[in-house]
Order: sequence, then structure tokens, then C-alpha cells
Amino acid sequence: MAKIVVESLDFYYGDKKVLAGISLRIDERRITALIGPSGCGKSTFLRCLNRMNDTISDTRLTGRVLLDGQDIYTPGTDVVGLRQKVGMVFQRPNPFPQSIFNNVAFGPRVLGLSRDQDLNEIVKESLRGAGLWDEVKGSLAQDALSLSLGQQQRLCVARVIAVKPDVILMDEPASALDPVATLRIEDLMRELVQDYTIVIVTHNMQQAARVSDQTAVFMLDESQVGVMVEYGLTRQIFTNPQDRRTEGYITGRFG
Amino acid sequence: MLRQTYERDLGRLQDDLLALGGMVEEAITVSVASLKGRDMQASEQVIAQDRVINRKRFSIETDVLVLIATQQPMASDLRVLAAILAISSELERIGDYAKGIARINLMIGAEPLVKPLVDIPRMAEKARDMLHRALLAFAERDTDLARTIPEEDDEVDDLYNQVYRELITHILTNPRTLDQANYLMWAAHNLERAADRVTNICERVVFTVTGELTEMDHHPDTGLMDRAGADSG
Repeated sequence: MAKIVVESLDFYYGDKKVLAGISLRIDERRITALIGPSGCGKSTFLRCLNRMNDTISDTRLTGRVLLDGQDIYTPGTDVVGLRQKVGMVFQRPNPFPQSIFNNVAFGPRVLGLSRDQDLNEIVKESLRGAGLWDEVKGSLAQDALSLSLGQQQRLCVARVIAVKPDVILMDEPASALDPVATLRIEDLMRELVQDYTIVIVTHNMQQAARVSDQTAVFMLDESQVGVMVEYGLTRQIFTNPQDRRTEGYITGRFG
Repeated sequence: MLRQTYERDLGRLQDDLLALGGMVEEAITVSVASLKGRDMQASEQVIAQDRVINRKRFSIETDVLVLIATQQPMASDLRVLAAILAISSELERIGDYAKGIARINLMIGAEPLVKPLVDIPRMAEKARDMLHRALLAFAERDTDLARTIPEEDDEVDDLYNQVYRELITHILTNPRTLDQANYLMWAAHNLERAADRVTNICERVVFTVTGELTEMDHHPDTGLMDRAGADSG
């Protein structure tokens, strides 16, 4: 089932068009990877999915982005509520300069979720969901920055899932991590996808091949505008892509 | 062009596969010529050469694995490598068939042949020619060629059935020829199997180009030995 449906999306920074004619359906409880050369607009596209681009001035979007059938760009949309449902994990781990506990409790507190459920429970479940609980259960009061980078990134995942989202957007979540921490994040993604819809931007093609169910390939067209050249099952894209540009990119002969 | 070293390694592997194919073609030709000409020394050479073929196949296999492990090939490159693995294994088995024919020559020994060999050398030439063109189709990524070669397997099957019937007739009219006729049936059977394996190679050529794995064995039960439940593959 499609969780997110994107229809004919164009995106502009000022007058400059950076994405053109993007249409795709993102399946529920699947990992969808967005790959392509630098500067082809895949991170911009990712940020269209929870209106993160709204925070950048002089941007414009046409087309539609439907989450559970509702257009998230309809005037009057509750953007805070949207970003709770569609959370984001960034390239570099960005924990708040506070305790591990407070990092995870931050969202539920702001959103008032702790009225319905014990905050301790939420923190524990979230850390467990992010595969971090066993490592930090004895040190919840410690400063989050005392954690390794890999642990910090999983803390950021815990922070996202603490507010009970439906979708998790990941913008190169492992690019700052060492190979072992990277594999842990990838394993975690396979765990998370049982409950969440995940969209990941990655420069690491092997990572896309390893973790994702679906892959969308972005490229710049002749007029230097980002387009989606192919979208399909990951196993198909990496063994028998249908588009010549995809073939060139993933075999390393182009891009 | 990006990835020059990788390109070169990939190209070299394909050259190695074609070289292996050349060795196997030679083995078929020499094994049957030595059977026909009763040349024991040449048969011994075919048997010795089979060890070289096997080593070459292992070295190709190792190189493919190293390339996969170190270069993470994708898409058509990955299919080429998978095809090289599969084809090298088919070639090695065809080499074994040639070795089997060489052994048969040694086993028949000094005994004169019950009949001059005509159809067995024809089978050998046909199988070798099909193999040659199948490898050409791989080198050229020529799916049209790869799709037509398996149809020619009928000719080999027809020759095989003819050889089989003739030899049965010999056995019936002169039971003392049983052992040798049986050996010759096996030689013919080996060639029939060799041609079947060429069909497998053609399947890999189509897979390399299109990504589709399809069976090309259009008459799977033509061979007498197949009906008798002999080895398949």
C-alpha cells in the first residue's frame, strides 16, 4: 500500500528549477532508497516529504505530496503535526546538549504525549527500538555527547521514534559513521521497517542495495534539473536496470 | 572513462573465458580424431590437457570472486560475471566429455574398430562448431545468434540416434562387438551432452544481455539416453 504518493512534483530555489516532474508511490513499511550523483536533488526531494524546505526562504513547489491520501501542502496543514508523523534523521548525529534521557524525552514532552503514557516507558521503548537500550540503560543521565558517533546516531533515531511517527526520512544517516556503526544502522533500519515507512537518501550504492526494498534513481537532465530516471524494486535496479543512465551510474561508468 | 582498472580486469576475464573455450574446442576435436585414428598418444595428451582446463576454470572462478569482492560490480557487469562463472563451469564439463572420449580410445586399445567412424566425427564437428559460435555470441553479446544455436542441437541428436541404432544393430548381429559398441555409444553420448551444454551457454548469453533466464532446451527428450534417464543438465 502506498503511504506517500508524489504527483508531478516540481521544486524551485528562487527562479531555479531543481526538481522536475517527480511522481512516485512510496510503499508503507518498506525502505525506499533515493540514489544518484551529488547535486541531483535527492535530499531536496526528501525534504519535500515533510515540508522541511519550508524553512528555507524563497522556495516553491508545485504538484502534490499525499500522505495517507491527504495533500500535505494544502493551506492550513498542521506542519508540526506533519513533522511528528514524518520524522527525520540527518547526516551528522545532532543530539541536544543534554542527557540521553532528555534527548529522547524532548519530543514527547513538547507534544504532550507523556500525558497518555509514562515518559520513562516511552524513553525505554524508543531506545530499545533504536537498538541502544542495552548500551545506555545504566547511564541515561549522562550527556548525549559522551556517546560514540554511531550511538549518537541511534539516539537520534530513538528521538524520532519517541514521538511515534509513521514515516522516517533519513538523509545519509551513516555517512559520518565507521563501517561497523554503519552496518548497525542498516540492521536497525531492517528492524524499524516492520513498523515504519523509511525513505533514505544515500551516496553509498551498496548501502541502498543492502537495505532498501525499492530504489529511485535521480539524475540531472540536459538542462541541469533533477529528474527521476528510474524507480523500481531494488533487486531489479541493481541487477537489471532498464534505463541506460541508471546502468551507467550504478556500474560506475557515469556520474 | 571511469574505473579503468576495473574495465581492464573485466575485459581480461572475458578473454580468459574465451581462451578456456578454445582449449575445450581443441579437446573435442583431438579426442575424436584420436579415437578415429587410434592415436593413443594423442588421447593421453587430451587427458593431460584436461587438468590444464580444470586449473584454468578454477583460476577464472577465483578472479570472478575477487572482482565481486573488491569492485562490487552491478547491473550488466554483475550479469557478465555470473555468466562467466556459469559458462566456465559448462566448459569444464564439456572438457570432461572430451577426456571421457580419450579414455574410451585407451580402453578400446589395440582392437580394430567394428566400423569406420563417420557420424561420431560429424557429431564432434557439429558440437565444436556450435560451441565456437556460442562463445562468439557471448563475446559479441549477440542474442540473435545465441537464440538460433540451440535449434541446431537437433542435428546432433539425430546423429546420435543414428549412431545408437547402428551400434545396436552391430551388437545384435555380432555380440562379440558388445564391449566396443558400448564404448562407442558412450563416446557419442558424451558428444550429445556436450551439445546440450552449448545450449546452456546460449542461455547465459541471453541472460547477460537481457537479464532474462529462459530455458532454450526446445526438445528436452529427443535423446535416447535422456529417455533412459541418463544424467541431465
